[in-house]
Amino acid sequence: MTPILRTDNISKIYGEGDGKVIAVDSISLELKKGEMLLIMGPSGSGKTTLLSIMGCILHPTRGEVIIEDEIVSRLHEEALPDIRKRYFGFVFQAFNLFPSLTAQENVELVLRLKKTPKALIRQMAGELLNKVGLSKRASFYPSDLSGGEKQRVAFARALAGGPPILLADEPTANLDSKTGLEVLKLLREMAEQDSKAVVIVSHDPKAESLAHRVIFLEDGRIG
Amino acid sequence: MLWLALKTLFHERGRLIITLTGIIFSTVLTLAQVSMYLGMMGNATGVIRHTDADIWVMSKNVQNFDFANPFPEERINKVRSMPDVIWADRLILTWGFLKLGSGGQEQVQIIGFNPDTGVGAPWKMVSGSRSDVKGGRYMIIDRTSEKRLGGLQPGSVWELNQVQFKLAGLSEGTRSFTTAPVVFIGYNQVHRYLTHFVRDDQATYIVAKLRDPEKTEETVRALREVMKDNDILSKKDFIKKTVLYWTVQTGMGMGFFLTALLGLIVGGAIVGQTVYANTMEHLREFGTLKALGARNSDIYAVIFSQVGINAVIGFFIGSILIISLQGSVEKAGVSLYLHPLLFMSLFLVVLLTCLLSAFFSVRKVRSLDPVTVFRS
Repeated sequence: MTPILRTDNISKIYGEGDGKVIAVDSISLELKKGEMLLIMGPSGSGKTTLLSIMGCILHPTRGEVIIEDEIVSRLHEEALPDIRKRYFGFVFQAFNLFPSLTAQENVELVLRLKKTPKALIRQMAGELLNKVGLSKRASFYPSDLSGGEKQRVAFARALAGGPPILLADEPTANLDSKTGLEVLKLLREMAEQDSKAVVIVSHDPKAESLAHRVIFLEDGRIG
Repeated sequence: MLWLALKTLFHERGRLIITLTGIIFSTVLTLAQVSMYLGMMGNATGVIRHTDADIWVMSKNVQNFDFANPFPEERINKVRSMPDVIWADRLILTWGFLKLGSGGQEQVQIIGFNPDTGVGAPWKMVSGSRSDVKGGRYMIIDRTSEKRLGGLQPGSVWELNQVQFKLAGLSEGTRSFTTAPVVFIGYNQVHRYLTHFVRDDQATYIVAKLRDPEKTEETVRALREVMKDNDILSKKDFIKKTVLYWTVQTGMGMGFFLTALLGLIVGGAIVGQTVYANTMEHLREFGTLKALGARNSDIYAVIFSQVGINAVIGFFIGSILIISLQGSVEKAGVSLYLHPLLFMSLFLVVLLTCLLSAFFSVRKVRSLDPVTVFRS
């Protein structure tokens, strides 16, 4: 299968001279649809930096990021929001839900950003919440949801608009063990059933057994 | 993005109230100052504006309408001799003391006008008619003075400079800049009974109407040639001169301007501070929006929409407050000039102040790195 995303020898270097820090060092990898890739490594190994570069949030210092044969790392900063909207769904460690919006509205927000026809927004957001098992909590604000529920809303939001790639940064870090496992299973389900390419950054050993592929980072390099 | 702006704005009611308080304060203070200033300028120029004349002749170096000096009234003939003058008439502006029922007295501004032509007469009567002052010791007093003078009953007799005058009618909307009550009397009666300031052969103003108002400047120049001892001004220039005198030479304009500016600055500072604090608190959300594909312009739209909505609501409430206060303020003797154009202009100023106050928030968002969303 053709990879949906490739990184070609990418590096991210901060600072210069003696203060130079190589956060990501010459990493090449491929990501296919239906695959769940787990990135592991100690703190400061460059996992999140790599995820940010893959998600077109951060420009690499060297190397290329290629999505469906388009070299996106060469695009101007102004073009990246559209790339992120088209290809990526993000799940964050701290959920990053909007406290002033209900679960339903948090999902609707992304659909609005993606210019989904207004008549469909409500229905689509409802379906996504149903998919993650939260249809009955749609009108609840994040402050009234448990950690697991918040993360499920974040998944529904990440899936909104049907992006082919899901990037999840420590998705189980703020969850108890049982809920964490459920979340990881949900991610794998999304990869396999919805043919999403899923990338997870995690320290969670449970993730290792569920991922299709695991890479270990150490000092910015694949170990 | 208006949708997100509204949701966030009304979710945080405490902050909304603080922001609105700032804008309401700013609106009320600014509107009050500006409308009060315009009201006072309206009073200062009321007779000039409402007299249907194109040209005003006065003694040399008159600075404003209220401070007139007498000059020979026969100079009216020079004005009448101008080819474009349809009519010319004389006015007297003088001051006197009205004895009150309580035994005290009140200084009043006296306007002597020709009751046959009505030139210089009160422009709105609520009781009686302008011509009622004709042929005897009759006077018209403005109703707004009632609080200072006591009951103004038509037919009642008052003592003006120790001469008894009967109250023939009541006018409305005529106020002097100095707030002294305005009394209208027939021109000839001033000459007969109130000669302490003007002699019986003197006037303080000559006003003239032209056949073609386009020829005002030309006629003014011609009159200046033949009336070297007088100042000749067009109606527009006399209004301007009076306004400039009270605004600039007395320093009053600066006082009003500074207070209005202070209102805008304090209101703007409150709005700016709350909007900035709001932005700082929502940086993670804005970062998330960027990561999800929002452009900087989308986030600016959220911030500016919130500021704009605040400005609209705050200005609306502030305007309602000032309108509801207008009656009681005017009863206390202070004129407020509240015109739709004033509201529109000040709304633009308040809106601009609020939008400018969001500048630091916008700058913060522009430099926000979406990578921050990955930090727990």
